[in-house]
Amino acid sequence: MSTDNPPRFIHYLGAFAAGGLITLMLLTNGTLAQYGTLLFSSWVPHLTGTVLAILILLTLRPARAAPKRPPLWAYLGGVSGGLTVVATSAAMNSALALSGTIALGLAGQIVFSLFADAKGLFGMAQRMPGWRDFAGLALITAGALILIFYGSAP
Amino acid sequence: MSLFIILAIGAGLLVGLSRQLNGRLALSTNAWESSFWNHIVGLAFVSLIALLAGGLFGGAPLDAPWWAYMGGPIGVLFIAAGSWAINRIGAAQTAMLIIAGQMISGVAIDIAMGVQGQLWARALGVALILGGMWVTRTAKAKG
Repeated sequence: MSTDNPPRFIHYLGAFAAGGLITLMLLTNGTLAQYGTLLFSSWVPHLTGTVLAILILLTLRPARAAPKRPPLWAYLGGVSGGLTVVATSAAMNSALALSGTIALGLAGQIVFSLFADAKGLFGMAQRMPGWRDFAGLALITAGALILIFYGSAP
Repeated sequence: MSLFIILAIGAGLLVGLSRQLNGRLALSTNAWESSFWNHIVGLAFVSLIALLAGGLFGGAPLDAPWWAYMGGPIGVLFIAAGSWAINRIGAAQTAMLIIAGQMISGVAIDIAMGVQGQLWARALGVALILGGMWVTRTAKAKG
């Protein structure tokens, strides 16, 4: 299966900007966890996010892309996200600390995404990663590791 | 120790799995609806954990600054953006660019907030990431 619309600059920019949103979320949710409990700092954003998402759906009323209903398991992304919080907080409080947890998490994320693309996992477009993808990955991973382990050291 | 290594890698796998599932949902619906389901299903799941294990309330969460409560709205935009991007540039490039954006904005916020850091590491890290993005940017998706 090939994509109907070829990648455009705006798609890359959107994904890059989404990365900036994670930094903001680490700041907001991390601060909340300092005042309340860790579970609270995950529960609150899910609650307020649900409310905002309902308002957006009611306001924009976006059309469904396909008439066919999605499979039920496609609704389970939130469970996977909730488990991420549990696994991350457990690892963070071990000898791995925050930097080690983030670094290993990046590795897991990259391995999964390459596997998913190569297989066309869950019926999404299949893309065989080329040498440029691996070169880009190596550079970004190296840069990320340097920032994680040396970037904010005292 | 090895259990925690597995947990940390597992957390990364779960992030990828979540984005893949939300992206699949957006393929049949749209990015906003996939973000809605991610949040309401996640809310039910975290609530269930709280009911079974406890530990939801404690400390003084009302003393937190108001902006600490803004993570939810930011998350709605984040999940929608991920579901939108993954169906256009694929899982690997989406993950790469999100990581790049997270790292570079993290450096920017650290500098803005006056967090001490080593200049050489920040400069080299950002340069490598920008170089990686440039290499990937010209990659052609095959398949």
